[in-house]
Amino acid sequence: MKLRRYGLLLAVALVCLLLLTVQTRGLGPGTATDAVAFVVTPLQSVLVKIHRGALGLWTTYVDWKSVWSENTVLRLEAEHLRFRALQVEDIRQENARLRRLLTLRERLPLSALAGEVVGREEDGWVRALTVNRGQGSGVTRQIPVIAPEGLVGRVLQVRVGASVIQLLNDPASTVGGLVQRTRTPGLVEGHTEGTVRLKFMARGAQVEVGDLVVTSGVGNLFPKGLPIGRVVAIQDKGSALFHFAVLAPAVDFARIEEVLLLTGQTQQDLAGLFRREG
Amino acid sequence: MRALFLLMAFGGSLAQWSVVPVLRVGGVTPDLPLVVTVFIALQRGPVAGCLSGFVAGFLQDMAGGGLIGIQALTKSLAGFGMGLLVGRFWVSSPLVQVPGLVLLTVAEGMARYFLLQVFHFPASLGELMANVILPQALYNGFLGSVCALGMTVLAAARKRPWD
Repeated sequence: MKLRRYGLLLAVALVCLLLLTVQTRGLGPGTATDAVAFVVTPLQSVLVKIHRGALGLWTTYVDWKSVWSENTVLRLEAEHLRFRALQVEDIRQENARLRRLLTLRERLPLSALAGEVVGREEDGWVRALTVNRGQGSGVTRQIPVIAPEGLVGRVLQVRVGASVIQLLNDPASTVGGLVQRTRTPGLVEGHTEGTVRLKFMARGAQVEVGDLVVTSGVGNLFPKGLPIGRVVAIQDKGSALFHFAVLAPAVDFARIEEVLLLTGQTQQDLAGLFRREG
Repeated sequence: MRALFLLMAFGGSLAQWSVVPVLRVGGVTPDLPLVVTVFIALQRGPVAGCLSGFVAGFLQDMAGGGLIGIQALTKSLAGFGMGLLVGRFWVSSPLVQVPGLVLLTVAEGMARYFLLQVFHFPASLGELMANVILPQALYNGFLGSVCALGMTVLAAARKRPWD
């Protein structure tokens, strides 16, 4: 056994020495060295290819790892920036809305209280908003509620820290209105469909699509001239005593977020304070 | 089993070209084929050590582009020598293996130097020792200790609770 071991070592040493001798002394130029090279070179080529492959694989892995971590960081950053952009846009829109509300409030010839919408009820039976102003703020029942675009409704219930506003399109809502162009009077009523209609007497009435309907001021509940909506259709019932004009409300009740509660009284026509577009 | 050890030697040589450049620290690279040869010799004795040393050294010689047979011879001797120590000294302990690996690297380097002297190698032993052999021996020792630790952990994991 021992002999076999040393025999192997001797054989290995002899092979190595033979290889070295062949390479250095040679049997003439281009013979022994070339013979070794002839055997070794193809093997070397294969090994170099394996080496390059392994190195390429390693480099690819390192690159992939780097790109992957960079991608994760960038994705997080993009998400964060998108969130920030949404926040900024939200704040910008709120700022614009409040600025318009403040401008209107400053121009109004009566006292008004700003309120934020904190709840909505739009199930067809009742269409109402809840705002964060109640008894403590001096809010009373029936006071008008407006937005920079026009009339929203009236205060129906007053609670400790909140008030419920009946919207114009509530089926139980009735407001005295008139067609601004022709001064044709009528009653603006809410409908179960969620629309708003102007009920007017047909005889001699000149109501056209596009006409603006404002509050009439009759009854001293709503100040005169608050925009209610524009006529979008006329429901002519022939010889009926009353005709209806379907209105597109000036205020988008579904999107309103801030309102003004008119706590004061005025006899002045307020139509000039509101925007005329649409 | 021998084929497996030869494959390990081959893998060690391949790793020497592909992984070692990444492991370069201050211009010093470890000699992975030697580390593999030593561990094979420790596990399987002088014959396996000698053969794996020959394969690893031969492949290194071929890849290096120098004289083919130098490292084949020195690593065969290193593997054989380390294999002979198994059973004579307490070489199963990492406290012996790691310094043994450092000393063996130095011995292998010196053997390579003296062999190259036959072929008129120009550098001096002092320079080689200071710049190449000793730093590489220390690096090999470090790698050897990592390998020894890994093998210990692996052995502990394999050991079943009822054994």
